[in-house]
Amino acid sequence: MWELIQSNRRKSLILFFGMGALLIFIGYVFGSFYDPEAGGAIGVLFAIILWVILSTVSYFAGSKIILAVSGAKEVTKDVHPQLYNVVEEMKIAAGVPYFPKIYIIDDPSPNAFATGVKPENSAIAVTSGLLATLNRYELQGVVAHEMSHIINRDILLMTFAGVMLGVITIMSDVFFRGMYFGGGSRYRSRSSSKSSGQGQVIIMILAMLLAVLGPILAQLFYFAISRKREYLADASAARLTRYPEGLANALEKIANSSHKLRSANKVTAPMYIVNPLKREGMKLADLTSTHPPISERIKILRSLQQGVSYKDYQKVFEMIHGKKEKIIPDSALKESIPVAPVSGLANEGIDFNPVEAKREANDAVMKLNDYKFINCKCGVKIKIPPEYNNQIVVCPRCGTKHQLS
Amino acid sequence: MDCPVCNKPMIILELNKVEIDYCPNCSGIWLDEGELELLYSIDKSENDLRKLFEPTESEKEKSYKCPICNKRMVKTKFNNSDLIIDKCPDNHGFWFDKGELDKVLSLNANTSAQKVLSILKEMFSYNKSQEAE
Repeated sequence: MWELIQSNRRKSLILFFGMGALLIFIGYVFGSFYDPEAGGAIGVLFAIILWVILSTVSYFAGSKIILAVSGAKEVTKDVHPQLYNVVEEMKIAAGVPYFPKIYIIDDPSPNAFATGVKPENSAIAVTSGLLATLNRYELQGVVAHEMSHIINRDILLMTFAGVMLGVITIMSDVFFRGMYFGGGSRYRSRSSSKSSGQGQVIIMILAMLLAVLGPILAQLFYFAISRKREYLADASAARLTRYPEGLANALEKIANSSHKLRSANKVTAPMYIVNPLKREGMKLADLTSTHPPISERIKILRSLQQGVSYKDYQKVFEMIHGKKEKIIPDSALKESIPVAPVSGLANEGIDFNPVEAKREANDAVMKLNDYKFINCKCGVKIKIPPEYNNQIVVCPRCGTKHQLS
Repeated sequence: MDCPVCNKPMIILELNKVEIDYCPNCSGIWLDEGELELLYSIDKSENDLRKLFEPTESEKEKSYKCPICNKRMVKTKFNNSDLIIDKCPDNHGFWFDKGELDKVLSLNANTSAQKVLSILKEMFSYNKSQEAE
């Protein structure tokens, strides 16, 4: 497993440095645009400093910021016992010594992500919508997928790459605003009167081009890093749960949901198990999307009939994808012990009640928000928000007066 | 969530796995779209649910803002009766004023409306008996 992490790192590092080079280049061109003599160096310096600062911040507080931006709240076992149990199960199945913190995001749209710099202080966040729509086996699939991101050390790299994407986006944004307010025109007119005008024109065109294409290029890099990781996490999840149908069903439910995740933005979007910023009817989106097409992921998982080892996943992937592409690192493919899928879970849906699951998920969110719960003897459950400042609540069904302490 | 009429926090009542937001101050009721869907998820399609609420314009009554999205709600006819309730334009849910609830509770309805009525009738049985006295 260790080599799997290593080779993962190596490939990603190449892409990572490619993205870094893009960042420096953009800094240089933008700087030269404003001041042809010294601007290039200043621009590079500015870009690097911005990246270092943001990276340092995200290294030490990144997961906290991301969790806060997403509106996630940490939960204990009694808030949502099933979720806690599933995470515990996957921790044991994966055989890892650390227990990720569990967070719930109050949002009807089903989705999940993992974050954290080190596995020891990692976190898994799921939305209340996810808890409300998935049964136990589907939830296992999703948690196993997120657990795999943590085990494969995906989260650290994705955090740094995400910051880089953010910096490039910010820079081109600032550049466009600067252009709009005419910041660069002073230098431009001066240098164009000189003989070096031609070089300046090239820089100008390049700067404009980069301002438009830079963020898109950065996203393509980011996409290349994250795309393989999604497949790998799917493969690991199938192997951990030995029940690929669970994750396949979960992905299907998430993709078919009509709700839109409120807190997602461009930088956090690739972290989720299914891209929350999906736009329907856009073919181009497939090219730039940070996630492989969900239909393909589901198809691969459903075709894992013979076994659920990494080797099986690679074989099915190539069959469905139609071309040879290494998704799973060599070390993992050498694994010789066959892993058979679990069968006989045909009754998985029977004990699942969508109404109860929704109630449980909503109650979990309310518990997190300090609601008081009163069970009236007539059968009505009264849930009182912390802002309610009356001392007495009258049950509208039986008329019992409940004293609030 | 705050009551759209008096802006005070509402409490949540759960009975038979269905939740209703209730304002103890003005006795108004908020029926969440998601809750109605749950109520009808067993044997009714969403279409039937929508048919229960037909938009209407002939209303001078003051309209409130949706407690979820803060958009001004539209007046809606419930199940072709003379009962007018507020509906969020983005389908977040429905608002019943106190008076409207009383009308609901004394309404005889066809089968598709029965579910909404029975849960309201059951939940607010004490309030109703209080009024009768």
